[in-house]
Amino acid sequence: MDAVAEPFVHMAGITKTFATGVVANDDANLAVQRGTIHAIVGENGAGKTTLMNVLYGRYRPDAGRIRLDGRDVEFRSPADAIKAGIGMVTQHSTFLPALTAIENVLLGHEPAVLGVLRLRAAMERAEEIAAKLGITLDWRARADTLSVATLHKAEIIRALYRGARILILDEPTAALAPQEASQLFSLLHDLVQSGHTVLLITHRLREVLEHADRVTVMRAGRTVADMASDSTTAAELASVMVGPSRKVYLAAEPAGETFGEEPTLAPSDRAAFAVVERHPPHAAPLPVLEVRHLIVPGQHGRPGLQDVSLTLYAGEVLGIAGVDGSGQSELCEAIVGLRTPAAGTILLNGKDVTHRPPAYRLRKGLAYCPEDRQRDGLVLGFSVAENLLLGHHREPEHGGGAILNPQRLRDATRMVLQLHHIEAPSPETAAAYLSGGNQQKVVIARCLLGKPSALVAMHLTRGLDLASVRRLYSILEAARSQGLGVLLVSLDLDELTEAADRIAVLFSGRLAGIVTRQEMDRDTLGRMMTTGAAH
Amino acid sequence: MRATWRRVVIVFGPLFGALAAGWMIIALTGGDANGAMWQLLVGAVGDLPGATHTFLETGRVAVPNELLRSLAKATPLLLSGLAVALALRGGLFNIGAEGQLMVGALTTAWVGYAAAGLPLWIHLPLALAAGACAGAGWAAMAGALKAWRGAHEVIVTIMLNYVAILLTHWLVNGPMRDSTSLAPATPQVLPTARLWAVEGGANFSAGFGIALASAPLVAFLLRRMALGYEIRAVGANPQAARAAGIRVGWITVTVMALSGALAGLAGAVEVLGVHRRFLDAFSPGYGFDSIAVALLGNLNPAGVVFSALLFGALGSGAVHMEAFTGTARQIAGIIQALVILAVGVRAFRIPWRDRKP
Repeated sequence: MDAVAEPFVHMAGITKTFATGVVANDDANLAVQRGTIHAIVGENGAGKTTLMNVLYGRYRPDAGRIRLDGRDVEFRSPADAIKAGIGMVTQHSTFLPALTAIENVLLGHEPAVLGVLRLRAAMERAEEIAAKLGITLDWRARADTLSVATLHKAEIIRALYRGARILILDEPTAALAPQEASQLFSLLHDLVQSGHTVLLITHRLREVLEHADRVTVMRAGRTVADMASDSTTAAELASVMVGPSRKVYLAAEPAGETFGEEPTLAPSDRAAFAVVERHPPHAAPLPVLEVRHLIVPGQHGRPGLQDVSLTLYAGEVLGIAGVDGSGQSELCEAIVGLRTPAAGTILLNGKDVTHRPPAYRLRKGLAYCPEDRQRDGLVLGFSVAENLLLGHHREPEHGGGAILNPQRLRDATRMVLQLHHIEAPSPETAAAYLSGGNQQKVVIARCLLGKPSALVAMHLTRGLDLASVRRLYSILEAARSQGLGVLLVSLDLDELTEAADRIAVLFSGRLAGIVTRQEMDRDTLGRMMTTGAAH
Repeated sequence: MRATWRRVVIVFGPLFGALAAGWMIIALTGGDANGAMWQLLVGAVGDLPGATHTFLETGRVAVPNELLRSLAKATPLLLSGLAVALALRGGLFNIGAEGQLMVGALTTAWVGYAAAGLPLWIHLPLALAAGACAGAGWAAMAGALKAWRGAHEVIVTIMLNYVAILLTHWLVNGPMRDSTSLAPATPQVLPTARLWAVEGGANFSAGFGIALASAPLVAFLLRRMALGYEIRAVGANPQAARAAGIRVGWITVTVMALSGALAGLAGAVEVLGVHRRFLDAFSPGYGFDSIAVALLGNLNPAGVVFSALLFGALGSGAVHMEAFTGTARQIAGIIQALVILAVGVRAFRIPWRDRKP
């Protein structure tokens, strides 16, 4: 076989646009040699998972072609890909919790005679595969009793059981402890030894450097670099990953713009906007929210929070950066009181609120903008007015009280709609009928209704068009200049570097460090997020 | 406008469909379908045109007995239907209205016969309140188990039904049995605890007024009170309610208690207005029919009034139909079941969920 022959897996010119207009893959290329571990790295939303889903037949690309072992292939569904020898283990387990491990392995390919499952034969084969890899597993245990690490192994065995020669792993170590992760990698090396090919999506650059043969870097839907992993460094990878800085979030609004009509912006179009001047934070730093040595147990294999201390001052925006699942939800929910910390103290305006219920904290000047506005932020079937009242429904000045005051509520709602430029046909319109941007504005308007001193905002602008993003930030900026302290969680470094005065970086549930505005540097932040190194 | 039209179709479509199906079943089995349907109607409302005529001519109010019987049958259905509807608005499926009704009825009967020497204006409200409180406590157990132990309220309320039915059965056959009575029953409630009732066997009592007055109260609670707002928020999206500081567990217990209170009240008015005592197994399944009543009423208090009246009329009309045409009264049960089926198929369709926002 020729050394410069075509790669084993070859994806060329893959473009995938979703119905929402988001371009997830834009002329992406990937070449993987047989018998290697090939890593794919990139920021959240860079298009890694989409590209792998195209390879796995879950998405059909708009353009581009896939060649496998020198032959053109076209997958109409994962079943086609499985037949062609591709297996995928997704980030979150796809095992059905109520079935046993062996039943999950067989799922979709149940060997049966006259409708009776042939479990014993199947189990022997699965055990044979497992034995070769040195894995022992209780096949009769229900999936929900297995640890995340064990589930991962079982999923890999399922892929091999189905005859996979190419294994795609999406963030396999995200939920694993370090020892479990190193076990997994020795397993992957064994697989490669026996002729399998491994495609690995990861955020952790150290893993790439230690275990992968080659690495492809993706950014904004494109494959921007392809290197041998022994010829690169974490710093270089991080800097290629994040790319040159783009300024968008605090851009001045172009004159005569009409809100709500602007189409969603592709990431590459973002550079066109100028930066607005920021007002300096208040002179005397007044802490509004303090978190001291907070420890929150993790759930579902997530790291939780390990001894995190932070202080949020009046009039500042404190950004929280980190790859998804580094402890952001745990931090915010513990601050609001939706999660009980194992240890640590939470001070709101100097008062200990660690053991107070959410309602108390919200009354005492904390506001919360949850990560999923449709799931946690709004009651979609409620009207806009009723949604604004949520949490304020005991406050007479907003139309609440033991007996509600519909007239006052309507008037208050009209005022809020006008003040924040929320486009809603009327206060009685159901929140479900508003656009995503207007829904988020309703949530923020509700947060600000009680004149809070601290706001915990998660993924404020996720999935929103640019006009809405700017409107949200101008609303926040007005409140901030009045002394509101904002804890802003985002997965988007551009958003954080523009909006935040300081950025705290979380890595695997602990605080990697806090970067001030002067030191904000995308390479540093990227390295902290992916390796946990202090700057 | 479209939404209103839609609601009319949702409510009346199943009803007329079921009536038509009932007509066809009678016709196909060789019965006189037109005659049976007519007698069903007469049995439900009686000689209403005649009574109206009399009223216009002489100014004398003479409500037909058949209509009174329909309203009497609707009374417990209305109260327990409101109970189920209220719980469902809070996101809880209270299957236990039957048990709460039985417990409420027995407690009311006990206060009614045991608390002697009280004036009517204390004794009667006390007896009613006792039934409501017993029902509330019974249901609150299921609410508390759901809120703090995660036990599903459907399972718990079903189980509590058995407990309630067997417990009252034992009490009324044992410690609380009136030894002078042939049937297992408690002693009669004292005159000071009786609700006003029409003489002559129509079973119509002031309990209907209590039931009818409860509907606007429930509507007011849901629409205009902060507690009702919290109940609706928890029912529609418990996660958002929690994130906004509403104590979801506490609301779960409260809404179950309120629901149980209404079901208990249903039992109380049956005891104080109709039977004057707790009769063993007096309920033909009001608590279970009330689930259909609540769903047919679209979980809306006004709608529940409508559907309870409808079910009351069907029940009353069926007896009449059987007596006059020989058509089995179970036909009415079939019609009722078809209405429930038709409603059940659409019960949880929420209009804005049909298309993705």
